[in-house]
Amino acid sequence: MQAIRWAQQMRNYLIIMRREFYYMWQDRVLRYVLIIGPVLAILFFSYLYSFQNVTDIPSAVVDLDHSAQSRELIRQLSNAENLKIENYPETYKELESLIDQGIAAVGIVIPENYGQDIMSGKQTRILGIIDGSNMIYATNASSTLIQVTGMISAETGIKTMVGMGMNLQEATEAYQAIEFKEEAWYNPTLNYAYFLILALALNMWQQCCVMAAAVNIIGETGVKSWPQVKASGFSKWKFFLPKSLMHLIIFMALVLPIYYIGFVLVKLPLCCSFGSLMGFTLVFALAIHSMGTMMSSLTNNAVDSTRFGMIVALPSFILCGYTWPLESMPAVISKAAWILPQTWFFQGFNHMTFKGAEFHAMKGYYLGLLIITVVCYAVSMMATARSER
Amino acid sequence: MDAIETNPMIRVEDLQQVISRQVVLDRINLTVERGECLGIFGTRGSGKTSLLHILAGIDRFYSGSVEVMGCKLPRQQEFKKKMGLLTQKQSLFRDLRTGENIDFIAGLKGAAKQDMEEVVEEYELQDYLKEPVSRLDAGVYQRVSLACAMLNRPELLILDEAIKDIDIYSRCLIVNKLTEFKGQGGTLLCGFSNIEFCPQMDRVGWLEDRKMSLMSPTQVQEKWERLVSDAGHKMGTANA
Repeated sequence: MQAIRWAQQMRNYLIIMRREFYYMWQDRVLRYVLIIGPVLAILFFSYLYSFQNVTDIPSAVVDLDHSAQSRELIRQLSNAENLKIENYPETYKELESLIDQGIAAVGIVIPENYGQDIMSGKQTRILGIIDGSNMIYATNASSTLIQVTGMISAETGIKTMVGMGMNLQEATEAYQAIEFKEEAWYNPTLNYAYFLILALALNMWQQCCVMAAAVNIIGETGVKSWPQVKASGFSKWKFFLPKSLMHLIIFMALVLPIYYIGFVLVKLPLCCSFGSLMGFTLVFALAIHSMGTMMSSLTNNAVDSTRFGMIVALPSFILCGYTWPLESMPAVISKAAWILPQTWFFQGFNHMTFKGAEFHAMKGYYLGLLIITVVCYAVSMMATARSER
Repeated sequence: MDAIETNPMIRVEDLQQVISRQVVLDRINLTVERGECLGIFGTRGSGKTSLLHILAGIDRFYSGSVEVMGCKLPRQQEFKKKMGLLTQKQSLFRDLRTGENIDFIAGLKGAAKQDMEEVVEEYELQDYLKEPVSRLDAGVYQRVSLACAMLNRPELLILDEAIKDIDIYSRCLIVNKLTEFKGQGGTLLCGFSNIEFCPQMDRVGWLEDRKMSLMSPTQVQEKWERLVSDAGHKMGTANA
């Protein structure tokens, strides 16, 4: 008898899950948004960041000196990977015009007497103008200019010391008393693609998931068929359990092609095991589902619920500290950002994929997501029970 | 489950319902015996649907006491296993086809495959199983709704405007099935606003000004004729 009842219960759950699957599948817009959206996003972003680094920043050089030394400087600047010297204006005014028009993002002005000053061991100044309206260009151009001029400055200094009678070894050691060795760990080539592609695609995925979950409860209780469920005597908790389970299955199925394209086809770094990454993603899927479900239990109609979902899901990627560090945000916002499951996920995701963080290092992230899940589901249950009164 | 076997089928005492701070039902008292067909009559907005939804355990109520098959509402809901409901508004799942609706609601009600096959045959729905319910004619839609209500072989059937504005064939089929249901000892609670259905009832509760008066079908018809006649006179006086 117990077995029959259990089998009946399972059948009921499967019927509800099947209906939920067809519901999502039959809705053409939802189907395209959920399936095609995130996959297109990762394909598009992979292509977009296929050069992996910012190279060939359009640059212009004004050489007011026309000496052998200034030509050497231009040669060294031309060799820098990030800069592409395309224009050689004659005057500062011409350079200004090129930057104003957006033809050049970087301008370098070599002063008159540059070669003479170098030869006589006098200090000389090179002006570097960077178009700050593009932050990415500006940061990369700035570090390249510092690197190239630093190198020339060191060479010149050493040459001067040798000229003063010091041997080359001594001059080099004296000039470079402190050797600064820079090592970028986890992403040694500071590859933009590694850093951004998956995060952008996962951001799109999580937005789609929040939207779908945002109609979980109101999509049933707010429509005319709800009396059928209530009159059947079927527990609403048992009704929403298999429905939510199907959502989670769909969410996880949708993330698989993103991970496949990212880690297998585009070969993005994955330093942890795929199983543990999927486990962490599942906990995040649970958390965003609970958040969407909570919204769907607190609003009066599906449209409002979806709007709330969008209001939270869209800026959450900016707030999560992935693209702009949490430490650089105002204290109130950086603390409030931890209310969002996206913050726990994207921070933890970074640790896992780049650093291969083990479970003991990830415990906090799992716990954060699980607490959000419990709170959101509890609020959903209370709100739904209350609305039924 | 013992509670379900006790008599009467429905007992309502001093029921009050308030919606948006407005009293919709005021001190309703009612008893429905097993095997009885009780009609709830009233014009639009008189509170028929509110009362039927309370008795079906769908809506909560403001005050009073309601017992259905011995279950005290709203806490005890076991009676729903032996209840069927046909709502006034179309309440089948719009995203599902006819057959899928029957299958899905059977799952919710714990009905067996055999019950599904039987209702499909009884309500002559074989040709409509693959049709989306949103495309069904009103009459066929009501047949599907009633078939779904009957899936769990209920003892109590609550119907809200079951045969209003539908084709003659569906109407005859539904009336026939309801007569059969009553003949087998089933209890019917029918909300209606068309006086011509009155003779089908054993007793009628007339809902007016938030209160209910219980009458025989003949008394209801007499009262209705009197009201129509009064209205005619009033119009005549007004025209003169």
